[in-house]
Parts: sequence; structure tokens; C-alpha cells
Amino acid sequence: MKILIADDETLSRRLLEKSLERAGYEVVAVENGKLALEQLCKLDGPRLALLDWVMPELDGPGVCRAVRMRSEQTYVYMVLLTSKGSKEETVLGLESGADDYLTKPFNAEELRARLRVGERILLLEDRLVEARENMRFRATHDPLTSLLNRGAVMDLLARELHRSHREKKTTAILLGDVDHFKRVNDTMGHVVGDEVLMEIANRLLSAVRSYDFVGRYGGEEFLVVLNSCDPAFAPGRAEAIRKSISNRAVLTAKGPLTLTMSFGVLLSAEWGMRSVEELMHEADTALYEAKAAGRDCLRLAKPAKKTEPPTTPVPESVPLRQ
Amino acid sequence: MNKTDEGISGPVWNLAELLERVDNDQELLLDLVNIFKEDFPRTMRLLESAIAVADLKNVARLSHTLKGMLSSLGGVRTAAAAAKIEVMASAGESASLKSVFDTLEREGASLLPELDAYMAEVRR
Repeated sequence: MKILIADDETLSRRLLEKSLERAGYEVVAVENGKLALEQLCKLDGPRLALLDWVMPELDGPGVCRAVRMRSEQTYVYMVLLTSKGSKEETVLGLESGADDYLTKPFNAEELRARLRVGERILLLEDRLVEARENMRFRATHDPLTSLLNRGAVMDLLARELHRSHREKKTTAILLGDVDHFKRVNDTMGHVVGDEVLMEIANRLLSAVRSYDFVGRYGGEEFLVVLNSCDPAFAPGRAEAIRKSISNRAVLTAKGPLTLTMSFGVLLSAEWGMRSVEELMHEADTALYEAKAAGRDCLRLAKPAKKTEPPTTPVPESVPLRQ
Repeated sequence: MNKTDEGISGPVWNLAELLERVDNDQELLLDLVNIFKEDFPRTMRLLESAIAVADLKNVARLSHTLKGMLSSLGGVRTAAAAAKIEVMASAGESASLKSVFDTLEREGASLLPELDAYMAEVRR
């Protein structure tokens, strides 16, 4: 584990450095509080720190306060090392945000034992973060395909539509449905049906760019969102995605299956600022048209052209108002 | 014991404690002694200059640094003298700083031969 030592006094720093290297730590040593803060604010900076109280530029409690003011970064376990020893100073040190306090000259064994306490706390934090991330993943992803679930992909779509409208770009919405999927489930069983859905999810993900979104919209319906998509290339890209499903059989436990998908495609720039629900409704209508056209194809949702009210020719005898 | 020596007690050099602190690593100990022999005289000169101009803020800072390095090295008596200067400077007492500095210098002068003797013995 990486550990930071901040001490302006060379001899103490060297002693600490060697002692901690011997204990298996990867040591980063600096000689003032400002450099210590820089190290601790790095994304991959040390999460354990031994800070001398009295240091030039910024003292140990100052470093603790500055580190605790950050909000989004991981926890840093900080031990203040000092020759100060009064109760008032101990309280001041801990109130500044330090986790522990060790009086100089330190005992090597005691120091290592206190750092192990720090490591336990950091490990606990790691476990909590991991648990939170797992929960967040479960709340936003489909358990079968690991794609974004409907709620999550719709949230992202709404955000993307706002962004593309603001930046005058186009978001392409592809609502796809696996053709005759019910037949797969009915004749081959749900296990094979699940295999098919997982493979389709993988193929859709492989067919898009890293910054596009793919989500499971419903049973066998998938939503693909192509961000900042050039409208001229959108139909071609949608075709490539469709073909990524039909161009080779899906290998299942009961043998290879040839499958196809139908897509309703919508380009946001053609629709102006509409709600996600409205656009999804239009994409769904286009998908229905693709199904009606024989499946294994895509249909583009186009806004109806406004019919202009008939213009009545102005009689020549009526004077025009200036 | 004169007044400036009050509170200064213990061994000149607590080698046993230092060896424990460095996990009996002789190489590290020699390294620390070398650092000390380089840093101690330099910091002492800076402290002497700060006392001469009654720059109490710097006196407190430099005596604190000396106290830290002496404590880490096991120079118990010299560290106590440095601590005394730090306390006085922090409290704004400048009157007897010079005499305590003399004590510090005297203690340092008795510590250095012990370090030299140890280094000579280890190298033999």
C-alpha cells in the first residue's frame, strides 16, 4: 500500500521512510505540507498519510483540514506525528480531521500497529464502496443481459436528447425487437430464449461505439441510442446493427439459431424538442411498420409534413394595406 | 546544576532505544548519524543567528526542528535543551535564550564524540 510521509526534518523523514519500506509500504516522502496536499489530492495518491505537525508552507492540521474539505474522493487515513503532547493539542489535531496522533520519537512497532488500524478502516471503506457500486449496478442494469435497464437507458436518452438539442446535433434512437422470439421460447424453452437475449445484447454492444448506449427496453425489445450521430450515416449504421444480428447464427445449447431483428429508427434533429415519451412512441410506430413490412428490416420515423392552409389569391381590385 | 540546565537529564545518547527504533539496522543508523552530522551544525548556526537578533518565531521553529532530529536520534539531553529553547521562544521569553543555547551547544558537543566513536566501531 502507498503511504505518504510529510516531514520537513530530513533525519525523521529518513527514519520513517526506511521503517515503513521495511514494513512493506510503498513510500512517498515530501518535505512540506503543500507538497503533501498535492500528493493526497492526486487520483491515485496515497490513502495513508503520516503528517508532521510543524511544517513549512502548510502545517499538518492544515493538510488534514484541506483533505477533509474534498468531497468526492476516497477516504485518506491521516496520522499526525508530532512532539507536541498536551491534551489541547491532541484535540486540536483530531478536530482538524486527523484520524490518529502519534508522539515523537515514535516506537516503530506502535507506529506500524496504528497504521494497520488505518489499513483496516480503508479496507472497510473499499468494501462499502464496492457494495454501493454493486447496488447501483443492480438498480440500473438488467440482470440477464447486464445491459442498462429500461429506466436507466431512458434517463440517459433524456439527457442525451437535451444535450444534442443544445449542441444542435442528432441523436439516433433505434428501437429493436427480436423477430418471432415467442417461437424460440415456445419451441426451444426459456433457457435457450435467455441465451438468445444474452447473445443479442453482446452483439448490439459490439456494434456500437463506446459512448453509445444499449439497453433492454422490454422482454425482447432493445433500445440503442447513437449519440452525436451524423444523420447522413444514421440509416447505414442502423442497417449494420441490424445485420450484426442476422449475419450469423446464434449458438445455443440446442443448436444454432438464425435470428433477425426489426428496428424503428428516429433521428432527434428531425423532430425538434419533444419529450422522450413522444419520441419513443414514434420510434415504436416505425418499429411496428418494420414488422408489418415483413420483419428483418428497419423503418425510419418521419414527422408528418405540415399541410399549409390554402392561400386565397388576393383580388386585384382590393387595395393592399401598406 | 545551574538554572539553564534545569529539566535537562538522561543519557547523552540512548543508543539502545535508537537501535530498537531502527530494528537493529546498522546501515540505517549510520545513515541517520551522517544526516545528523550534516544538519545539526547548520541548524545550530541558524538558531544562533536567530537568537542574536531575537527573531523568536524562527528561534521556535529552528529549536523545534533540532528537538525533532535529536529525539529521533536518541540524543536525550540535547533534545531536552532544544525543547527548552522552543518553550521559551514560544512564550516570548528572550532574556536567557543565549545561556540555554550555550547549554544546547555543550550537550551537542558531548553527543558528537559518542556518535563518532560508534561509527568508528561499526566500521572497524
